[in-house]
Amino acid sequence: MCRILQIVSLLALIALTLPSVIFLAGRMELDMVKWLMLLATIVWFVAATPWMWKDNGADQQDAS
Amino acid sequence: MDTEHQSQQTQVGSEFEREPVPRNALLGFKSFIGMYAGEHCAGTELMIGPLFVAAGVSAFDLIVGLLVGNGLAVLSWMFLCAPIATRRRLTLYYQLEKICGRRLVTLYNLANGVMFCFLAGAMVTVSATAVGVWFKFPMPSLNDLYPNSVGWVVAVAVVGGLIAIVAAYGYKTVAKFANVASPWMVLVFLAFGFVGLRQFIVVTNSEIHSVGDVWTLAKTHIWKGGEPLPGQVKFTIWHVMFFAWFCNMAMHIGMSDLSVFRFARKSWYAIATSAGMYVGHFMAWISAAILYAYQLHLDPTDTDVLPGPLAYRAAGLAGLLCVIIAGWTTANPTIYRAGLAFQALSPKSSRFKVTLITGAIATIAGMFPAIAMKLLGFVALYGLILMPMGAVVFVDFWLIPKLGLRGSYAELSGKTFNWAAGLAWFVTLAVAWVLVRFANVQIFFVSLPGWFVAAILYIVLSKFYQKQIRPVAAK
Repeated sequence: MCRILQIVSLLALIALTLPSVIFLAGRMELDMVKWLMLLATIVWFVAATPWMWKDNGADQQDAS
Repeated sequence: MDTEHQSQQTQVGSEFEREPVPRNALLGFKSFIGMYAGEHCAGTELMIGPLFVAAGVSAFDLIVGLLVGNGLAVLSWMFLCAPIATRRRLTLYYQLEKICGRRLVTLYNLANGVMFCFLAGAMVTVSATAVGVWFKFPMPSLNDLYPNSVGWVVAVAVVGGLIAIVAAYGYKTVAKFANVASPWMVLVFLAFGFVGLRQFIVVTNSEIHSVGDVWTLAKTHIWKGGEPLPGQVKFTIWHVMFFAWFCNMAMHIGMSDLSVFRFARKSWYAIATSAGMYVGHFMAWISAAILYAYQLHLDPTDTDVLPGPLAYRAAGLAGLLCVIIAGWTTANPTIYRAGLAFQALSPKSSRFKVTLITGAIATIAGMFPAIAMKLLGFVALYGLILMPMGAVVFVDFWLIPKLGLRGSYAELSGKTFNWAAGLAWFVTLAVAWVLVRFANVQIFFVSLPGWFVAAILYIVLSKFYQKQIRPVAAK
């Protein structure tokens, strides 16, 4: 399951970036870029949260 | 820029606050790459890139200045901070306590906490600009120092209040969320750049067939150089270089990241900071700058630096979310750390209450757009204020023993305030102030001579101080 989520997350990141690259090449409308980026954003957070949700804490820099 | 340094090691971090990190807790190189790459893509990058454009920077000055300045920052981490971190393996605060004494460290904490508060305020400001896209209230302009509408005040109060409450209640949840958001945020920043570039190509009818064509577009339309916008300081290559080098000065030359690299197996792991510098302080700044330059190209009178509308125009809701999340995930730990710094002044006070009060101060600061709009100068000031203590740590570790003096003298003498270190700090800041105020040296440049002033002062003053105050065992 984790492996599948990781693959989906990776695909979401590609889907997040690719529209802007295609837009740069002049082959996509900006509105479509915006929608695809939003979709990729939703997929990313849904797929990545279960396996990336870990404590990266900041206590080590505590000013104490 | 980034102010926060979190790492995966920190699950164990709190165990080693007053002892060297043991071998079995050391971390590999990859831990540091991921940490720095994500953390230097913060909400404030969306202010800094546009402010470079407002400062009238040229394409060559920006690109070369950033390449060199970020390289110098990486070298500072590698050769000033990490070698001490991997030899001593102590937090900055514990090391400072040994050198300076508890009371002087408390003062350092206070300075650190105040600066964190204002920085968090700037991050709240960035997030609040996203709210303005929805609610259409008047937002501050480039030269505004005070809040300019009730809507703005309410938006900052709501955003800042939420961040403060979350920081006080569930800080760690946001830290975990920041972990998840980090790769996404980096790529949204990249997309900002691609979209902005295309918009420039279209609006200028440029023909792009090679990298040379992109460069021509950059220098003729995006970063044209010339006069800065009214009220802004003109940025040359030297400004860009020194700003990129010193914007994280508190962390490398100021030695804050001793606390991070004490977990590194080797000091060269500090080269991992280049991931943060060239992603956040190169790509992200350039992307944000392109968006603002495009706004100016369309309407030269529209000089407002508002990350929310900028991101929304480029990437729609995803862009707007990026602004909110970038501001939120970085303001949250900043408020939390400022709270910790203040709590160190009064250890018995509740961390919850202190964090809430700190968040309230940051929120009030965020209502004043002056901090965000003058972020370039503020970041330089932040590094300058904390830098002298980094020089003290450096000298105490490398030079003091070679000069026949004793290191960690507060610990040896049992004193709670090492006047040699304290005076080195205060006098350096006074010298910097005089240089800025009376010698017309801009704040971006005083930190370099300031470091040498602090180092020399600490050596000279230690000679006197150690004669007067004897180690406990020698008394």
